[in-house]
Amino acid sequence: MNNTAGKIDLHMHTTVSDGTDTPEEITAKVKEAGITVFSVTDHDAIKAGKIIRRSLGEGDPRFVPGVEFSCRDKDGKYHILGYGFDPESTSLNQLVNRGKMLRMEKLLDRVGYLHEKFGIDLPEDEIFGLLAKSNPGKPHLANLMVKYGFAASFREAMDKYLERLPSAAEYITPEEAIVGILSGGGVPVLAHPVFGSGREKLDADEMKRRLIKLTAVGLEGIEAFYSGFPPAVSAWLVSLAEQYNLLVTAGSDYHGTNKTVALGETGLPAPSEYPEPLRRFLDRFGV
Amino acid sequence: MNKQITIPLTGRIDSTNAADAEQKILAQLEGVDAGASVTLDFEKLDYISSAGLRVILRLKKTWNDLTVENVSSDIYETLEMTGFTEMMTVRKAYRVVSVEGCEVIGEGFNGKVYRIDRDNVVKTYKNADALAEIMHEREVARLALILGVPTAISYDVVRVGDSYGSVFELLNAKSFSKLLAGEPDKYDFCVAEYVKMMKRIHAITVPEGKLPPIKERSLRRIERMKDTLPDGLGDKLLRMAREIPDSDRMVHGDYHTKNIVLAGDEVLLIDMDTLSVGHPIFELQHMYNAYVGYSEYDPEIVRQFQGYSPEIARRFWRDTLAGYLGAKDEKKINEVEEKVRCLSYAGLIEGIDRHSSGDREKDAATRALWESRLIELLKRTDSLTFDVTPEGESDPDALDVEATVPNLDSVVDFVNAHLDAADCPPKAKMQIDLAVEEIFVNIANYAYAPEIGRATVRVSVADDPLTVSITFIDRGVPYDPLKKSDPDVTLSAEEREIGGLGIFMTKKIMDDVIYEYKDGQNILTLSKRL
Repeated sequence: MNNTAGKIDLHMHTTVSDGTDTPEEITAKVKEAGITVFSVTDHDAIKAGKIIRRSLGEGDPRFVPGVEFSCRDKDGKYHILGYGFDPESTSLNQLVNRGKMLRMEKLLDRVGYLHEKFGIDLPEDEIFGLLAKSNPGKPHLANLMVKYGFAASFREAMDKYLERLPSAAEYITPEEAIVGILSGGGVPVLAHPVFGSGREKLDADEMKRRLIKLTAVGLEGIEAFYSGFPPAVSAWLVSLAEQYNLLVTAGSDYHGTNKTVALGETGLPAPSEYPEPLRRFLDRFGV
Repeated sequence: MNKQITIPLTGRIDSTNAADAEQKILAQLEGVDAGASVTLDFEKLDYISSAGLRVILRLKKTWNDLTVENVSSDIYETLEMTGFTEMMTVRKAYRVVSVEGCEVIGEGFNGKVYRIDRDNVVKTYKNADALAEIMHEREVARLALILGVPTAISYDVVRVGDSYGSVFELLNAKSFSKLLAGEPDKYDFCVAEYVKMMKRIHAITVPEGKLPPIKERSLRRIERMKDTLPDGLGDKLLRMAREIPDSDRMVHGDYHTKNIVLAGDEVLLIDMDTLSVGHPIFELQHMYNAYVGYSEYDPEIVRQFQGYSPEIARRFWRDTLAGYLGAKDEKKINEVEEKVRCLSYAGLIEGIDRHSSGDREKDAATRALWESRLIELLKRTDSLTFDVTPEGESDPDALDVEATVPNLDSVVDFVNAHLDAADCPPKAKMQIDLAVEEIFVNIANYAYAPEIGRATVRVSVADDPLTVSITFIDRGVPYDPLKKSDPDVTLSAEEREIGGLGIFMTKKIMDDVIYEYKDGQNILTLSKRL
C-alpha cells in the first residue's frame, strides 16, 4: 500500500479562479516538480479538473478532482476543500453555481452602492472585466477608483468609500459546502485551519470549537500541512486529526505569480514518514 | 407549477434606469411561483450595463429556472465574458437568412435545402416545431460524428421567413442522386461508396438509450394496417416482424441517394433525424421503397424524387443489396429482398391509408398493387430473419486489409494490441504471432492468386478461462487447411512435401483451429487459452 505516493500537493489554483497558470500550464509544472499526486482547488469552480483529466495519460501524476468553497457563518470565515467528488454531480454543481452567483452579486452590489451613495460610476468594461475574474473584491475596486481619479490613493478609496458599504448579506455556510461535497461523493476538508479564511490566526480553543462543529455535519479531514505552517503547528493539527478521527491533507495554495508560494511547498516530511491520517486519505483514492 | 412566463425587455438597462426596470419586471412576476420558468426576451434590448446584470442576477436567485433569449451578439459577448452563460440558459438571437432566389439542392419530406452561397447550404423546415426538430437533429448528428459517422453538422441556426433553418458548410457537395442522374460513369463509384457507408453505419454499436429502436416504428405501422389483410396474414406479418432480433447497431432510417453526398472527395451522410438502432432489414425496408416500392405503380415517381430513371433506381437497389450482403448468388439476394419487401409494402400501405396523394383513384390502384404483392409474399414467407455480418472500419476488433505480405506487420501489430490489452504472457504472444504470420501469409500468397483481394482479421478475448480467438476471413478460393494431412516431421526438410508445415505448427500452438466455408468466405478461427 502507498507504494505510489511520492511528493503530493493537493491545493493549488489556476486561471479558472485567481491563479496565474492555466490548467495546462499547471499540469506541466506539476510534472516538472516531480509531484505524483495532485489536486487543483479553484475557488467555487471545477472547470480546470475537466480540462486536466483529459490531458493526463498513463504514467502521468495521479489527479484528484478538487474545489475550494469560501464560506461564512456567525462564527467567522472558512475555506472548505472538496476532493474526489463526481464532477457531474448535481449537488456539487449547484453549489459551484451558487458560489459564483454570490461572488458576482457581491461585486455588483458594491458597484451599485458606489453609484447610489457616492455617484461614482466606473467604466462598464472594467466592471465586466472584474466579473470575469474569480474573486473580485474591494481591493480591485479601490485600484479602479484610483485609476479613474475617484480617489487619490488606495487607502482613501478603501477608507472613505469601500469600507463604508454594507457587507453582503448572503454566504455559503460551511455546513452547506460540506453537505454539497458529501452528496457529490467527495471528501470535505477544512483548508488551512488555523488561518480561517486565509488571514486570521485562530487560537487552540477556537480551532477545537470549529472542528467539533464541522465534524458534526460531516467534515472528514483537515489540511494539516500547508505552506506557511511551522512544523509544530502541523504536528499539532495531525494530533487533532487523530483525536477527532479526521483525515489529513497537504497543500501549498500555489497561485502562480499571485503568491510567493512554490508548487509542492507543503511542509510535508519524506513520503516514508507521512502520518497515518494522510495515508488514510490517500488510500481513499487508491494511491 | 411549471408555469412559463416571458417578459420582453426593451431599450437600454443601465445604472440610470436599472431600479425602474427591476420594479417593472417584478410587477409582472407578482404572484409567480419560484418554481416557474421565467424567460427574459432580449430581442428589443439594445444595451445592458453591470447594473442590469445585477437585476438579472437577483431575479435568478428567486426564479432559478431563468432563461434569457434572443440575445444580440454584442450582449451575448458580455454575458459570456462575465460567466452569465454558465449560470443560466442564454440563447442567442437567430440570424435572419433569406433563401429567395437561392438554388434548391434538395427537398425532403419536411422542407427544402438551399445553397445560400458557394460553401454553405441552409436546410429549412416546414413544420411548426422546427426549432425542436433542428435541435434534435443537431444532437443526433453530433452523436453520430462522435461514433464515427462522417456527417455534416449544422454550425448555426437561422431564421428563414416564419420558420427556422440550420446552416451547414458543404463545399461543392453533390448528392449521389445528382451524380447518378448526371454522371453515368460515376455509377460504380456510387454503388461502392454507398455500400461502404452502409456497412460502416451498421457496424457501429450505439450506447443504450441514445437512439430509438427502429423496430418499434415498423411494428407500430404493421399494427395499424394488419387487419386489412386477409386470412390472418396480417398477424403472421406482425409475428414475423416481432421475431426479428433486436440490435444496438446504428441504422440511418432514411438511407437513399439524396442523403449521401460527395463533398470534395469526402463522402458524407446527411439528414440524420431518423437515425435509430436496429436490425439492417429495417434499413433495407426503407431503401427498397425509395428506389422501387414507392414508385411500383407509377415508375415516374422515382424520377421526380431522385432525378434518375426507374431502371437506374432498380439496378442501384439490386447492386447495393448484393454488395451489402456480399453475395453474388441471385438466389440469396432474392431471398433477402422478399423478406425486405414484406416490411416495405406494409409501411407503404399504412402510409397511403393515412396520407392520400389527392388522387383517390390512383391511390386505390397503387394500394391494390402493393397489397396483392404483399399477400403473395406473405403466403410463402415464414421468417423475416437473415444473417448479416456487419464489417467495417469502425469495428475496433476487426481489421480489414489487402491480403498482401507487406501488410503482415499491421496485422501482427493489430493482434498484439489486443493481446497486450488482455495481458497476454510474452511466450504465448510470440507463439500466437507465429501462427498469425503463417495463416495471413498463406492467404496473401494463395487465396486470390494471381489477383489481390482483401482479408479481415477479427480478434476477440473471452474471460473465464481467458481465451483469445483470432478469425481470418477471405473471399478467395475455398480452401480448408485442416484437410491437409499433417506433414511427416520425421522426414528431413528436403524430403517433406512443401507447405503444410505452417498449419501443422498453428495446430500445435493453438488449442483449437476451426475452419468453415460460408457465404463465399473462408473463415478460419484460431483459439488459445492464455
